[in-house]
Amino acid sequence: MRNMKNLTLKQKLAGIALLLGVIALFAGNPYKGNHFSIDSKEMELILSKGADLVKPEELADWTIQGKSDFNVVDVRSEKDYQQYHIPNSVNVPIAGLNKAGLSKTEKILLVCTDGTISAQAWTFLKAKGYKGVYILKGGLNEWNSKILFPSLPENATPEQTAAFEKTKEVSKYFGGTPTIGGKTETKEAPKVQAPKLETPSGTNTQSSEPKKKKEGC
Amino acid sequence: MNAPFIKYGMFGDNVGLIVAFVVGIGFGFFLERAGFGNGKKLAMQFYFRDMAVLKVMFTAIITAMLGVYFLSVFGVLDLSMVYLVPTNILPQIVGGLILGFGFVVGGYCPGTSCVSAATGKIDGMMYIVGVIIGIFIFGEVYPLIGNFYNATPMGQITISEWANIPYGVLVFAVVLMALGGFAAAEWAEKKNAGKEGSLITERTDA
Repeated sequence: MRNMKNLTLKQKLAGIALLLGVIALFAGNPYKGNHFSIDSKEMELILSKGADLVKPEELADWTIQGKSDFNVVDVRSEKDYQQYHIPNSVNVPIAGLNKAGLSKTEKILLVCTDGTISAQAWTFLKAKGYKGVYILKGGLNEWNSKILFPSLPENATPEQTAAFEKTKEVSKYFGGTPTIGGKTETKEAPKVQAPKLETPSGTNTQSSEPKKKKEGC
Repeated sequence: MNAPFIKYGMFGDNVGLIVAFVVGIGFGFFLERAGFGNGKKLAMQFYFRDMAVLKVMFTAIITAMLGVYFLSVFGVLDLSMVYLVPTNILPQIVGGLILGFGFVVGGYCPGTSCVSAATGKIDGMMYIVGVIIGIFIFGEVYPLIGNFYNATPMGQITISEWANIPYGVLVFAVVLMALGGFAAAEWAEKKNAGKEGSLITERTDA
């Protein structure tokens, strides 16, 4: 006590400042509550490179090779999820994303119908500090057109035809139905029946018109 | 959470201006009481003879920092609603150097020049005239330097986010830096006390 009295006011104030500083070491982050922040620089970089987009072909490849270390998260409603979902994906409707308790340490691949809801979920998770968040490019629509029901136009170039051979195998792996020139190809794959999995509503997967493929897979 | 008051709608813009006025008067009062209405005293820090400016500024920094930090941690202040000036690193370094140059030449910074002028000092008034001329020139040449003014943007960023250091650790580091600064300042003052031009004795009888 006597030592305390001998201290000057300056020294006492300095002591208080030091004490508060030491407490601050353990007091945690002052930015609390429901406010999150986004690193605009990081965001800019990701967006400019499209580094957060995973093509359906990539996901299919990884799944076939058993290499996928993604937690595939389907953010559509439970009803849509029940109708069809990508194998090994889990259903977390976007409304429940905040409380889903997804791990921040694993890679998350977001899936929805066309990528819109995934983009919302992506922004949300990024703001919450999730590092490895990815979006399935084009959502299930693209998954359907490229993986499950790929089609080769009748007037395809030899390159396109060659590339389609691989696509066909991938498609069959996931129980899909490749088509050539609008006709379902069944000759080479007699064992493969129509896909057991139902397709999501709203996709014109069985339409008679052949889809133009933009690029060879 | 109920602060910042103005963001939580406890008062409007007009009352906000009155609050700012009262806070500003308080700020000026304490600057004057610290002797900062005197250009000579301010200039003395550049000769390491009177480090009051450094001590007062560092005290203000750590008082405000500890206050803001703990009020936020206790949930009184919502720090995410406090405005952060966006960082444009290169132009702000150049701007800081220009301000520092003016500080050394004129003996005031913008805030203290107002304090000085308010206490009737002519050099303080001249300094304010200089500040206004500077603002005018800046406004006129802005089209030429606008690109540089907006260069190297880093957004509304804090050191903590930039260097990925927890806020608490940074608070502790700044407190240590301030205390070290105080000790060094006192040491320099003692060392230079007897030398010519010291204002320490002059102030007491002024």
